[in-house]
Amino acid sequence: MARAITITSGKGGVGKTTTTANLGTALAMRGARVAVIDADIGLRNLDVVMGLENRIVYDIVDVVEGRCRLRQALIKDKRLPELCLLPAAQTRDKDAVSPDQMIDLLAQLRSDFDFVLIDSPAGIEGGFRNAIAGADEVVIVTTPEVSAVRDADRIVGLVEAAEKGTPRLIVNRIKPRLVSRGEMLSVEDVLELLAIDLLGIVPDDETIVTSTNRGEAAVYDQTSLAGRAFLNIGRRLNGETVPFLDLTDQPGVLDRFLGMFGRRRS
Amino acid sequence: MSDLMSIKGGRDGLRIRFDDSAEWGLLLEQLEQQLNQNQAFFNGASLALDVGERTLTTEQLTHLLNLLQHHGVVAEALSAGARETRNAARTAGVTARPLPRYPDSSPQVSPDAEALLLIRTVRSGQVLRHSGHITLIGDVNPGGELIAGGSVVVWGRLRGFVHAGALGNVDAIVCAMELRPTQIRIAEQFATTPQEAGPHRPEVARIAGAQIVVESWEAFKK
Repeated sequence: MARAITITSGKGGVGKTTTTANLGTALAMRGARVAVIDADIGLRNLDVVMGLENRIVYDIVDVVEGRCRLRQALIKDKRLPELCLLPAAQTRDKDAVSPDQMIDLLAQLRSDFDFVLIDSPAGIEGGFRNAIAGADEVVIVTTPEVSAVRDADRIVGLVEAAEKGTPRLIVNRIKPRLVSRGEMLSVEDVLELLAIDLLGIVPDDETIVTSTNRGEAAVYDQTSLAGRAFLNIGRRLNGETVPFLDLTDQPGVLDRFLGMFGRRRS
Repeated sequence: MSDLMSIKGGRDGLRIRFDDSAEWGLLLEQLEQQLNQNQAFFNGASLALDVGERTLTTEQLTHLLNLLQHHGVVAEALSAGARETRNAARTAGVTARPLPRYPDSSPQVSPDAEALLLIRTVRSGQVLRHSGHITLIGDVNPGGELIAGGSVVVWGRLRGFVHAGALGNVDAIVCAMELRPTQIRIAEQFATTPQEAGPHRPEVARIAGAQIVVESWEAFKK
């Protein structure tokens, strides 16, 4: 039976879709059967980030409205046969699917997969409600910015009110140099406010931009520090204990991180 | 508060209990007066209505609901002994259901002597509203709100919005382990926290000379 995990954030643009694509790939690379669902109906992106846009025939709304069977809408990943995408519809909006329909959909997927990852739209309205409706667990993505953390806090409250348990947190796009200069919130600052368990820390990394645009997950790139961070988060989701990449205190890691940008430590 | 109706806050929210024998028109008049006097407390609140054994028509209930809505109050449930009233409630668009019983409190106790104790985090977008005192063990995050008829005690960081004495009590105080609210109100007064971060120590806010003053707990207890 699959675990259904919703990736959400409240604020837009903090990296939900990139996180979903990379975690799905990371889990499938370790042999798990994974389905990723794009619940951002009307603004679909997950297919683009995974490089599967040109293979879409049916989407989630087609399934819900009975125009195809679920199996026909699932798109196999280019590299990993264990990984499938259920794309969002681009020509409809969030009202095209109801929370009950999401729960039904997940019930059908559960028996064939080990993980179902649901990429939530930004916001706290219907689309978000759909995305968490059938979830067993919720993962919140935030960047170390006051506005994103404020929205994450709001989401934690809503997830708890929906009785989905306490969500876990991914802090995305940390810039260790700014943190050490006191110009960016640290992971500790974020955790102190949100008071939830940390699932992972992902450094700000330019390789994400290129991998996202190419439609290839960063986890394939062993030189990408963000890719390594996502691999580790995938392992943690799988129940393994993996130490966090310590980006601020260990000069070794920091040097490597800065080295990727071709800079020297000042 | 009026002796014809009582407004109480509990774990499940606010509740108005209307006197069984008083004339309905008089009750509505008093309710409107309460709502006008305590706008800061009631705006955005949701209330449960307990009309006792009284029989009310759909028109009477609609009038009541409109009055509440006009003051930003949502009636989330209605408890009525009479079947006619329950039917009228359904037509008027409010859920009729029995409300959980509160333990009988003696009538001598003033409403703001009743305190609510909660152990949780009040997160952004969450509002804790109570007609008496609020004691919170946990943090109030930015964007979270505490609104109390009485005083507010936060055993934690208070970084959201707080309004003590929201029913007009100028003697209400606010104390917190770390008192850094985005805005603080006591009765009609309000203040903001200065930008520069002071030392993190327990502090108490109260009204002195028509403004809110904040002092350390050490200074306050003398």
